[in-house]
Amino acid sequence: MRYIQFTQPNGRVTAPAARFGGRLGVAGFDHELDWLFGTALSGFSGAGRGGQFPIDLYQDKNNTYVRAELPGVTRDAISVEFVDGSLAIEASRKEKTGDNETTVSYSRQVSIQDEVQADKVSAVYENGILTVTLPRREEEKPKKISVSVN
Amino acid sequence: MSFINTLIPSLNGSAAEVETRPVRRPRYEITETTDGYSITVSLPGVSKDGLQVTDEGGELRITGTPAFKLPESGVLYRETSDAAFELVLDHANTIVPEKTVAELQDGVLRVTLSKVESVKPRKIAVT
Repeated sequence: MRYIQFTQPNGRVTAPAARFGGRLGVAGFDHELDWLFGTALSGFSGAGRGGQFPIDLYQDKNNTYVRAELPGVTRDAISVEFVDGSLAIEASRKEKTGDNETTVSYSRQVSIQDEVQADKVSAVYENGILTVTLPRREEEKPKKISVSVN
Repeated sequence: MSFINTLIPSLNGSAAEVETRPVRRPRYEITETTDGYSITVSLPGVSKDGLQVTDEGGELRITGTPAFKLPESGVLYRETSDAAFELVLDHANTIVPEKTVAELQDGVLRVTLSKVESVKPRKIAVT
């Protein structure tokens, strides 16, 4: 993980907003800091006490995939929404400590740079991993038109 | 030379068998009850086939290998790891290995261990 800092001419130290190549849009700087420290301490070994969870983003020829580590969440409580190039994943997990049952919630937003066929987005939850498949929109291919000359 | 080989196994040709693959410690939680212990281990991506739970020499060893590996090309961003999970817990033979129950569901392993009678709390009647 990279944490970049640079000094402004006025002496204030700020972190660039578009970290990680600007691929991921995370709501609010506080949120981002929480996530940064939370996941750094957990050693990326799965979602912890609520909040954010580790994700991967990869693509092949036709699809872009978002893979999220969400072990032990309730299948019915997983919500995946794709609106305007932004993928929102929400999930919750029930935790029992003695007689008390608490619900731990997770949520994360990922912005997808590619043109996606929004109506064909699908998701699978297996072994504690949620995989969202986002089919990319086919770019307009040059069409060959044959014109008959009389 | 064979004597030295037995003293220092790494000099032997079979040293390649020694596992050097990277492992990481999973997130886990242990709760104690009067009869035993309950361990919850977070193993995202591990299926039943990739999971091994062994009990040997007073140690409970949980090893889980994630079933899925990210493709080598096409990765845009990653936060997870392909490394296997390994958790070794020392119970100093205070549990009954035959009564150990393990259940894996949705990437979460729940292990229930039963204490041996000698370590269970005992109420002594005063006469």
